[in-house]
Parts: sequence; structure tokens; C-alpha cells
Amino acid sequence: MNKRALFVKTTIFVLFFLVLLRLVDLMLIKHAKLSRIARVQQTKEQEVLVRRGIIYDRKGRELAVNLERPSLYCDPKLIEEPGEFAQKVGGILKLDKRRLVKLLKGERRFAWIARKVSPEVASRIQSLRIEGMGMLPDTKRFYPKGKLAAHLLGFVDIDNKGLEGVERTYEDFLIADGGRVYITRDAKGNILYRGGNFESSGNSIVLTIDEGLQAIVEEEIDRAVRQWQASAATVIMMDPFTGEILALANRPTFDPNRPGRYRASSRRNRAITDLYEPGSTFKLVTATAALEEGVATLNTRFDCSDGYIEVGGKRIRDSHKHGILTLKEIIEKSSNVGAVKVALKLGPGRLYKYVKLYGFGEKTGIDLIGESPGIVKDPSQWSATTIGAMAIGYEVMVTPLQVLRAYAVVANGGYEIRPHVVSKVISPEGLLLKKNRGARGRRIISERTVRQLKVALRAVVSEDGTAPKASIPGNTVAGKTGTTRLVDKRTGRYSYRDFVSSFVGMVPVENPLFVMIVVIWRPERMYYGGEVAAPVFRAIAEKALAYRFIPREDRLKDTFLYVSSDENIMLKRMAVAEK
Amino acid sequence: MELHREYRIDRLLLFTVIALTVVGVLMVYSSTALMPIASGRGVASSREGYQFVYLKKHLLTLLVSVFVMFVFYRLSPDNLRRLSYPMLIIAILLLLAVFIPGLGLKINGARRWLRLWPSTFQPGEFAKFAMVLFLSRYLSETEDIRAKLKTFMIPVGIMFLIQGILLMQPDFGGAFTVGILTMAILYIAGSPIKYLAMLFAFITPLLVPLLMEPYRLRRIMVFLDPWKDPYGSGFQLVQSFVALGSGGLFGVGLGSGRQKLNFLPEINTDFIFSLIGEELGFAGVLVVITLFVLFFIRGNVISKRARSNFSFYLSTGLVLMVTVQAIINISVVTGLVPTKGLPLPFISYGGSALLVNYMAAGVLLRLSRSEPERMSIVTREGLVRKRARLKARMLRRKIR
Repeated sequence: MNKRALFVKTTIFVLFFLVLLRLVDLMLIKHAKLSRIARVQQTKEQEVLVRRGIIYDRKGRELAVNLERPSLYCDPKLIEEPGEFAQKVGGILKLDKRRLVKLLKGERRFAWIARKVSPEVASRIQSLRIEGMGMLPDTKRFYPKGKLAAHLLGFVDIDNKGLEGVERTYEDFLIADGGRVYITRDAKGNILYRGGNFESSGNSIVLTIDEGLQAIVEEEIDRAVRQWQASAATVIMMDPFTGEILALANRPTFDPNRPGRYRASSRRNRAITDLYEPGSTFKLVTATAALEEGVATLNTRFDCSDGYIEVGGKRIRDSHKHGILTLKEIIEKSSNVGAVKVALKLGPGRLYKYVKLYGFGEKTGIDLIGESPGIVKDPSQWSATTIGAMAIGYEVMVTPLQVLRAYAVVANGGYEIRPHVVSKVISPEGLLLKKNRGARGRRIISERTVRQLKVALRAVVSEDGTAPKASIPGNTVAGKTGTTRLVDKRTGRYSYRDFVSSFVGMVPVENPLFVMIVVIWRPERMYYGGEVAAPVFRAIAEKALAYRFIPREDRLKDTFLYVSSDENIMLKRMAVAEK
Repeated sequence: MELHREYRIDRLLLFTVIALTVVGVLMVYSSTALMPIASGRGVASSREGYQFVYLKKHLLTLLVSVFVMFVFYRLSPDNLRRLSYPMLIIAILLLLAVFIPGLGLKINGARRWLRLWPSTFQPGEFAKFAMVLFLSRYLSETEDIRAKLKTFMIPVGIMFLIQGILLMQPDFGGAFTVGILTMAILYIAGSPIKYLAMLFAFITPLLVPLLMEPYRLRRIMVFLDPWKDPYGSGFQLVQSFVALGSGGLFGVGLGSGRQKLNFLPEINTDFIFSLIGEELGFAGVLVVITLFVLFFIRGNVISKRARSNFSFYLSTGLVLMVTVQAIINISVVTGLVPTKGLPLPFISYGGSALLVNYMAAGVLLRLSRSEPERMSIVTREGLVRKRARLKARMLRRKIR
């Protein structure tokens, strides 16, 4: 008897052990596979409430925020009287009743009734207490400064998904969880969970933009476009040492709060997408090559007295006959003939080397969407005229930002930099997630050449140069004008009416606060860069210097004296008060 | 020194029962809290306190069960023996009462329940208990079960009777359990292997038409390969695997299981073990199995110390009743045997089984303490007491 009891007992233990083995297999060995199945069936991906991160300017001023705008949805199966429902709800929401009734038909268990309604409307709907209808907290992206920095910020769609600008490039940071919320669902597809977890808070972004500088730029670019009846314009201001974009504006522009109301051409960020032939601003490359390669010094003379030069059977002209010019004067007076002669002395290989060195033909790597690399032909594809054309900024397509970056290299003493618009990404808890350090890159051009280039570029702004209108009383300015003909699309030849006028420069010349490029497409009446773009540069720069409390260089001593004496007075007063 | 004293009530057995019950209450609450919403209207909210509806019922049943346990605990073995035959008759009558219209309750095509205001009762559960009680008395009073076929055939006949009624309901799981229990007890009682073999030979051809019943056949096919039709007939088993598998080592956390959201049918009753696996993980599952093993070990100790043959058969039978059902239940949810429809003792939601298992616990606890016997092992507890007594004596001397 005992033996049999023992047998039964043993059998039970063996069975327990077998069951345990099976559990090890199911729960531990197949864990990964089965929990994947569980995840797939138990969660529903829904893009509902996305609290995008806030976008701030460099001083913490809000440029993009969220407004509470609840969305209304319903479970069509639970609506008992579609007609009555449409009557009531449609009345408040001002929606078409027939469309609402149609929405309620069908097998779906979820349908949006209205997205992002105002809180007042939402509370009115809620007071109706309709079964089967619900409200989800939702947000609407709001850009409190309207059109300010629109191209930089970009915009979002109805589901708060970033479509352009920083909103797009930093989508993964602005939206935690990739913008999706995983909701627990049951086997029937019902959402059993409401409230908290419908939200996802994104990380905030601090831009390199200064709202004050941006506002100045916006104001002046508007004025310029109006004054010159221009078709388009771009201004970019950048810190040459860090590559931080301080301000960026394009015309035409748009309101990111209502992107749908504007044409795609208005929403385009021309500063990085639009290609143009840079014209004389490109002579910087020619001059750099000549100085670096030892082909010429600032004082090397070139004969420009013919007023034209023939390259590959084509004539390249100056606006008027200049006579004999030094390299410095070629830049100062923007002599095409002189620049071509310098380039011919260099030869295609050495010229091309510096075009590439400045980064033309390549993306600058700015953290914005849609940047164009530009077009730079390889020397093997050059025609006989290319060397002459390229010396004066033709047969090469660039973006305004590329030109600006080249001048930034000169401004910062010869170092490569990477332009960027976002300085920091900050988590909702306030942790610094990412920092875009404006690291100084490798040296591209020698210090000696930089000094010489600055001398030449300063001369441009002098009374004898092409852009005296860019000069600022009391501060040193260096820069270069550019005037190019646009290609007439009908004839395929250079137009005699449509120009691109530009000016790119830095201020102050030693240790510049910023480099800035002004590009104006199709100005009316006037077209010289020195006449059209240079005054815009001056207007912005003057205000920007005042805004940043940069003292006039010629009265540096007075300023410091004033400040220090003021401090002394304060100290004396404090001392008296203490006694 | 040997201690001469009565056995005290088996505290470890009591502990396992309480522990399993606590796990049960937690898991029943976890599995049913959302049921009023989940089964009804998805998004719409329900009335206040809906999450406690099932828990309240479970606790009420538990209260009744504890009372019944106490009643059975008060019954001496002699009284139990006297009650055993009447109880069998009552059990059979209750089983038959299910077929009386008005009294019986049909759920999901099965007549297994009796209407019993304010609740229902499943006589099949009680029949298991009554069968064990009957066998204990019968076997303890039969002189020679080993020799005569007649003494063997009487319990087998009663087994067939009960199984027959259960199969008519139909309750295949119940019939299966009754069969296993009867055979195991008869085997332990020393029935000739010859008879048992004959019984098997007789049963097997009878099983074939039973198994050919379409829904049972489907269950078996599903058991063989649940992944073949994971959204149809294999759904429940696959969902059980998913629940267990997603638990991993430590589970997704108590209350955080997702499979109860209409994924796993019967998650609060027959498949509650899967929820334990999902929420408490392999660790939790191990604890539950350990508790059942502990229950089994303590039950064996009780039956070993049994004073009479009746006590021996009764304790052995009741321990097997709980343990075998636990093993079958876990085997079902892990896909080791085809789906039966058996609850997990002490844990599953469902009144009748809980009540009957508590009856068994009451009887076992009584049997554990009834006998004054020489204790051959110095218990740790005894040593501690002895040490304390000596210390006290020395202290008293010092004071003097």
C-alpha cells in the first residue's frame, strides 16, 4: 500500500516538474517572441495629443508655443440619434449636418468630429452630455510673433507634425516618442484608457536667433522690398566665429499660423534653397587664391585700361574703363577685367581649388531642411570661357548662405565653420539634451591672407569703392557688392532687365559682431549691389550695433570713460550712503 | 527528551490555503476590475464602484467558504464517516436537479449550475468531494478489496453514474477529475492491477465516441497546434501563451496585465493562472506552484499520520482532489492537455469550487490535529520553548 501511495506521490511531483518545465519554456525562453505579439495586439498607435516642445530664441523668448485646443471625437456606434446629434453638435460647431450624419455611418468605432476647437466651444459641447462623444485634449501650434522668422521656424500640420524649418529638422526632439502615443486597447479595439497618457511632451529648443536682431532684419527687408519693388529678398546674419545664425529672413514670406494660405514659393527658405550666380561677391575666391598661391599681392598691378577682356571668344566688360589697377583696387572697384586677369594668371586648377575650399558646391550642413548644395562644374567640364566667368562669379550657382559662409571665414580669421540655427535642446525636465557647439573648424586660409583680404574688403566700403552706402559712421565695415544678370527664361540668355543685387559684409572689421548678406532679386529702377543692397546692410547693421550696445569704434575711449566715470559716481554715492 | 503532546493544527497547510486565497483575491480583482467596462461599452464610463462588482462577490463567497470550512473543521472523523453516504446521495440528487427546468441554469450550452438565490451552485464540484468521502468510507469498511471483483465494481459503478450525469450536462472536466481521483484512490487502496487494466480496456472504446463530439475534437485539434488558427479556435490558448510569455521573469506588474482586456476569455476563472504569469512573471508562478507543492507535501504528512484507514483515504483523496485539479488547470493553460474547463483551486473566481476546496481544507485541518501521538522529531518550536522555559527557571533562581 505504501509503495502505491509513493508511486502516486512521485507521479504528482513529476507532473509538477513537467508543468514547471513547460512554464520555463513559455515564460522565459519564448518571452521575447510572445511579448512582441502581446505588444502588437495590445497597443494601438495613435497620433493624438502631441505637446511639441517650445521654441525659444537665444534669449529665451518664445517663438513657437502650444495652445490648448481640444479635439472632439465620437464612437459612431454609440450615437443613438444621428439626426438629433447632428442638429445639436452641428449647430454649435457650425458644421454641415449632412456631413456629420454621414460621418456617423459605417463600421468605425472612432471618428473625429472637429479638431482643435476653442475651449469655449468645447465646454458648450461637453455640457450637452452626449453619450458616445468624447473630447481629447489637443494642442495647436501657435507662433506668437506671426511672420517673424517664419522660414526658420517652419510650421506643422493638423496632427502637429513638423513640415518645414526647425519644426521639421528637430521633429524627433520636439516630439518625444516620435509623435505617436501607444494606447492600451482591448481585444475589441476599444481604448480603455483616458487622460494622462494621451499626452507626450516634447523637448524644447533654443535657437541661435536673436529675436531683436531678427525683428530689425524683418523690418529692413520689408522696407527694401517695398523701396525696390523687388520680387524676392534674403538677409542672413551670422556670428562668424561660431556659425550661429543670428537672424534670417526671406521675402516673400508667410504666416506659420496659417501656412495653407500662402503659396509654396512664399514658404521657401530662399536663403538655403535658391541658387543664383553670385557675381562680384565671388571675386573673394579669386583674390584669396591669388594671395594664397603667391600669384599676386595686394599691390600687384593689372592692366584694365581696355575696359574689356576676351576669354574663349567672349567679351567680359567693366562698367567703365578703369586703367591700371592693383589687386586691392580690383576688389574695391569690382573690376571684372582685373579679376579675369588674376584668374587667368592662376589657371583653372588653382581657382577651382579655392572654390571648393570655401565650400561652394557642397551643403553647408545647416540644420534646416531643403538645403541645396549649389552647382560647381568640375574643371574637366569647363569650357574656354569658364575660367573668366567663374572669376567674376558666373557659371557657378550658389546659395546666399554659402556666400555668407565664405565671408565668415575671412571675418573669423580663416577658419572653417558650420552654420546652425539651434543652440540647445532642453528636455521637459530641464535637462540639456544636446548642445550645438559652434566649434571652430580647421584653418582654411592663412592669417596673412585674411589680413590682406580685410584691407581690400574695407576699401570697397570707402568713398572710392563700390559700396560707400554700406559704411557706418564710427564703425569699420568690410564687404563686397555683387550685381548679376538673371537668365531670361524665354530667351535663355542673360536678361537686360532682371538683376540680383547683393552685398555681403562684416562689422566691425576686427573681431566682427556678425557677417551679413543681403540678396535682392529683381529690384526695379536700380540694380547695382552698392546702390540696392548696401544701404540695407547699413540700415540693419546700424540698428544691430545699437541693439547689441556695440560702441562706436572711433569714440571707444569716450565711451569707456563715460561708463567708468559713471561707475565711480555710483561707488562714491554708495560710500556716502554707508557713512 | 521526547515530547508527548497532541499534534497541533497543521499551520503550514493553513498558511498555503491562506496564501493561495490571497493570491486569488488579488488576481480576481486584477482580472475583473475592468470587466464591467470592457464587456460593455468601450469608451463610455460606467457607474461608480464598478471595479469592485466581481471582487465583492468573490469576497462574499470567500466568507461563506470560510464559514463552511469551519463547520467541516468541527466535524469529527466519526461524524464525517456517518455523513459520507448521505452526502453522496445528496450530491447525486443535486447533480440530477440540474436537469429540472427552473432549477437548472444553462450557460454557454452547458447545464452545470443550480439556481440558488442569490447566486448559483455547481453540483459537479460538490460531487468530487462527496465521491472522495464515499470512497474513504467504503474502502475503509470493505474487508478485502484485493480479492473480490464485486467490491471493486461498486465504487466503479458509482463513479460511472456520477461521470455519466456529468457528461450529460456536459462537464467533461468534472467527469475526468472524478475518474482520475477514483482510480488513484482505488489504486492506492490496493486494487489489483488486473481490475484497473480491465477498467481501462472498458473505458477506452467508450471514450472514442465522446471525443468525436465536434467541439471536443476541435479542442483537441487546437491543443495539438493552437497557432494554426490563432484568431479562431486557437484564440484562447494562443492568448494564454501570450499572457504567460509576456510576463517573463518578473511580470509586467500586479494590475498592469493587458490580456484581461478581452483578449483572454475566462481569465478570471479557468485561465487565471495565465494572468498570474503575465502580471507576476515566472517568479509569481513559481510561488503559486510552490504553494501547491507545499500543500501536497503537508497533505501527505497528514495522511501518513492518519489514525484510521478512513482518515488515510479521506486525507489522501482530498489532497489529490486539490492537487490534481491544480495540475490539470495549469496544464490546460500551458497547452499540455486539451482545454477542460477546470478552475484553479483557491485562486479562480467561481463560488462552488472555492466552497468545495474550503470544505476539503477544513477536513484536512481537522485530520491534521486529531491524533495524539508521540512526536519523534524535536521540532524547532519545541526547542525554542524548552530553551525559554530553562531560561525562565534560571532567572527565577537568581532572583531568589
